[in-house]
Amino acid sequence: MPKRVITLTVNGETHEVAVEPWWTLLYTVREELGLTGSKEGCGTGDCGACSMLLDGRLVTSCIVLAVEADGCQVTTIEGLAQGGQLHPVQQAFVEKGAVQCGYCIPGMVMAAYDLLRRQPDPTLEEVRLALAGNLCRCTGYTKIYEAVLAAAERMRLEGARG
Amino acid sequence: MARETLERPRFRHVGRPVDRIDATAKVTGQTVYGDDLRLPRLLHVKLVHAPVAHARIRRIGASKALAVPGVEAVLTAADLPPHRTNPDARAQVLLASDEVLFYGQPVAAVLARDPYTAAYARDLVEVEYEELPAVVDPLEAMRDDAPLARTGAIRDADRSEEQGHITVEAQQEQAQSHPSNVSSSITFRRGDVEAGFAEADAVVEGTWRSSMVHQSYIEPHVIIADYDASGELSIWSSTQAPFHVRHEVARTLGLPEARVRVTATEVGGGFGGKIYLYEPLVAALAMAVRRPVKLTMSRREDMLAATPAPQAVVQLKAGMKADGTLVALQARVIYDAGAFPGAPVLPGCLLIGGSYKCPNLDIQGFEVLTNKVSVGALRAPGAPHVAFALESAMDMLAQRLELDPLEVRLKNAVEKGDPLPSGQPYPAIGLKECLEAIARTDIWRERRRIRQHPHRGVGLAVGGWLGGLQPASATVGLNADGTINVTVGAADITGTNTSFAQIAAEELNLPLEMVSVVTGDTRTAPYAGMSAGSKTTYTVGRAVKLAAEDARQQILAIASQRLEVPAEELEMQDGVVRARGQPEKQVTFRELGRLTTGFGARYAPIVGRGAITARRQAPGFTAQVAEVEVDPDTGQVTVLRYAVAQDVGFAINPKSVEGQMQGGAAQGLGIALFEEMVYDEKGRLLNPNLLDYRLPTARDVPPIEAIIVEVPSEEGPYGARIVGEPSIVPGPAAVANAVADAVGARVFEAPLTPERVLRALGKLRD
Ligand code: FES
Ligand code: FES
Repeated sequence: MPKRVITLTVNGETHEVAVEPWWTLLYTVREELGLTGSKEGCGTGDCGACSMLLDGRLVTSCIVLAVEADGCQVTTIEGLAQGGQLHPVQQAFVEKGAVQCGYCIPGMVMAAYDLLRRQPDPTLEEVRLALAGNLCRCTGYTKIYEAVLAAAERMRLEGARG
Repeated sequence: MARETLERPRFRHVGRPVDRIDATAKVTGQTVYGDDLRLPRLLHVKLVHAPVAHARIRRIGASKALAVPGVEAVLTAADLPPHRTNPDARAQVLLASDEVLFYGQPVAAVLARDPYTAAYARDLVEVEYEELPAVVDPLEAMRDDAPLARTGAIRDADRSEEQGHITVEAQQEQAQSHPSNVSSSITFRRGDVEAGFAEADAVVEGTWRSSMVHQSYIEPHVIIADYDASGELSIWSSTQAPFHVRHEVARTLGLPEARVRVTATEVGGGFGGKIYLYEPLVAALAMAVRRPVKLTMSRREDMLAATPAPQAVVQLKAGMKADGTLVALQARVIYDAGAFPGAPVLPGCLLIGGSYKCPNLDIQGFEVLTNKVSVGALRAPGAPHVAFALESAMDMLAQRLELDPLEVRLKNAVEKGDPLPSGQPYPAIGLKECLEAIARTDIWRERRRIRQHPHRGVGLAVGGWLGGLQPASATVGLNADGTINVTVGAADITGTNTSFAQIAAEELNLPLEMVSVVTGDTRTAPYAGMSAGSKTTYTVGRAVKLAAEDARQQILAIASQRLEVPAEELEMQDGVVRARGQPEKQVTFRELGRLTTGFGARYAPIVGRGAITARRQAPGFTAQVAEVEVDPDTGQVTVLRYAVAQDVGFAINPKSVEGQMQGGAAQGLGIALFEEMVYDEKGRLLNPNLLDYRLPTARDVPPIEAIIVEVPSEEGPYGARIVGEPSIVPGPAAVANAVADAVGARVFEAPLTPERVLRALGKLRD
C-alpha cells in the first residue's frame, strides 16, 4: 500500500507528510515532524501522556490515526510557550514542584491547559475530574492540583491568555 | 505543609524549597528521554514473548518474518555473540534457548527499520513449544508434590538489586539439597516466642496476602546500544544504575569496563524497576548486527516481561500484654520470586521483626520460584507486604485490649539502639516523632467525629526502610567565567541534582544560578552507586559537599597568594573572595577562573574532589493516616483525606521531599486499593494494560498532607537521611485499618477491591 500524503498544521506550522495508513498521530508528530515532547506511555488511550489538541479538542494521540487528522490543526506541548515565555500552566507546574520524572507532564499540562480554557475558575474537584485521564506515577497528584489552581488564579488575574 | 524541626543552624540554600533545575525543560517537552534519541542507521527491536508459562522450545522458524520488507534480522539465543550465561540470573539469560520459564519470556528478537515493521514481523515468527506443567501459586509451589518451576537447582542467584536497596549483614540460605521451588530461606529468632505468647493478654493471628504489582513508571523501558568498529560499546538506557549496567554488561559480554559507555537517559519513572534487565541483550544484538539497535518496550511488553514486585503471603501471630507491651511476634513470610531468584525476603523479615521493640521473635522467610515473570525492586521492596500484616495486627491487638492504636505504637516503636532481628542496632531514627506528628493532624484529632458517620473511619499505620549503602564520588570545577560545574555519576531520579546544586552553592556561598550539575556517562563521570535504596542524596550528596569543600580550599589557597593574606582571614561570598576587614583586597571567581584556565595560566585548574564510602545506614520511618468512606452496597472504598509524616533527617529541598512523600503515599494507595497483576491457572497474565491494571488516578487520590519530620542522621549531609522509599510502605495497612474502623470488617488481602470488601462484610458468597 502506498503512503498517503496528509496536511497537518502543528503549532501553527503547516506540513505535508507522507504517512502509512496505520501510523498514529503521535508517531507521525514524533517521528516525522521531530516533535518528541508528546510521550507514549501506553499506546492504548489509557495514560494521557500523548495528549494533544486536535482542532481544539483534547485527544490521546496514540489512538488517533494520522490520516484521521488530515487537514486538522494540532497543538502539542511544544506549542504552548510563546516567545520563550512559559504559559502560566507551565510556570505553575515548575513553581509548585509538580514535576518529577516529567514523563506524564506534557500530557498533564495539555489537559490542564484544556481545562482552564473551558473553565477558568475550577474547583479542586473539577481539576481532579479533568485530569483523571492523565496518569502520573511520581507526584501523588497533590502538587499538580496546586499548580493547576495556581495557574487558574494567575490567568484570571492576567486577564486570560491562551 | 508542615515541618517539624529541631533547632538548627541557618543555611542560605539547603533546607529551602527551590524549583527543580530540570523542571522547565520538562514542562516544555524539551527533555530528551531514551525514546526521543535518534541515531543514524538505527534498527528497532521487537521481542518475541513466549505465550506459555513453562515449556521447552522445539523449533523457531524465522523465514516468514524475514520475508517482510524492512526486516533486517531475526535472532535467537543461538545467533548471539558468545557471552556468559547464568541460568539463575534473569538478565544473563538473554533469550530463552531451551526452557521457557514464564509467560512473556523473550525467545527471539526481530530487528527492522521501524517499530511497526518489527512488531508486524514479530507476529510471524513461528515457535513450537512443548508445554510443561506450570506452577503459579507460591503456596502450591512450596508443596512437596508441586511441579518444579525449572529444571536444575539455583546455584548463583543475583541479589545485587536487593543489595542496592538495602545493605545489611545477614545471609540468605541457598536452597536445600533436594529439588524444591524454595530457592532460599532465612530465619531470625530472639528470646522464647512461646513464653512470650504465654504471658500475653491478647494474641491475634492472620494470613495477609499482597498481590503482584507493577512499578508502572509512565515511560516503559527503553535501551539503545551501539557497538562501533573500534570495539567501543555505547548504551543509552533509562536506567537508575549506569555503573551497575556497565559492570553487568561488560561481565556478560566479556568486554573491559573501560570500553563500555553507559549513559543514563532521563528516567521517566523507575521506582526500583529500572536497575538493569535488557541491556546485555540489546548490546548483544548490536554486536551481532553491527548497527545501533533500540528496544522501546510497549506497555504490554513491559508488563509481561519487566520485573514487577512480588506477591507475598504473610502469616503472623502477635501477642501483647494488657498495658500495650508487645511481647511476641511469630511470622512466616513467603515471597513469590517468579521464575528467577531475587525476592526481597531479607528486608521483609528484618522489618516485620524490626519495627517494634519485641523481646520474643520467631521469623521465617521463604523465597519461592514459580512460572511467573521474575520480580525486581519496587520502592522499599518487600516492606509494604509485611507492614500490611504487622500494622493490621497492631490495630487488632489495640482493639482487643481497648487501647489507643497510636499510643500502642508509640509505646513499642523502635528507637536508637534497639536491635533489628539480625541484632544490628538502630542509629538515631524518628519513628516516634512521626507518630507524634500524625497525632496532631486534623484527621487523627477528628476521628471520633468522623466515626459518627456510619461508613467512615480513620486508620493509621507506620512503616520504614533501612536504605542501601554504596560508595560515591563527585567533582566540583571552577570555569573560566567563575561559574561552577558539579559532575556526578548518579542518575537523577528524584531531583537529586537540584539538591547537589544547593549543596555546592551552600559550601561556596554562591547564588544557585552560578552552579550547574550534570550527570555524566560512565566514561566521564566519577563513580556513584545505583540511584536506588534511597541513598543518592545520602551518599552522593556527601561526596558533592566534600568536593565543594575541596574546591573552596583550592580557591582560598590561590586567593591567599594573590592577595597576600592568610587563607584563614579570607571569606567568600557571591563569587568574590575578600580579606576580612579589608574590602579593597578582593579577587573574584571570574578572575580566579581565568588565572586557572587561560593561556599561560599561573595556576592549575580548580577541581574539587569528593569521594566517600557510606557504612552506616540512616533508616527512614513514616506514619500515615487515612480517612475513608466505604460504600456498603458496592464495597467501594474512597479515600477522603490522607496525611503522611516522615522523618527525612534534614530536607535539603523540602519541595522535592514533599513530592517524594506524596508520590510514595499515592503508590501505597494504589497497592491498597487497585493494583494487581492477575494470572490465570496456566500462568498467563490477564491484564497487561493500564485499563485492566488500574493505577490510582486524580479522582482516587485526594490532596495528600505532607509533614516533614527532621531527626538528623549521623552521617548524611546536613543530617539528611533516606527519603524516597518509606512513604510507600504503610498505605495498604492504613487503608485496611480505616476500612475496619469504618465498617467493622477486616480485609486480609490487598488490593482491597470492592469484591474483597463485600466478602469481608459477609455480603458475597462463593
Ligand atoms: S500513550 Fe496515549 S494514552 Fe497513553
Ligand atoms: S512526573 Fe513522573 S509520571 Fe508524572
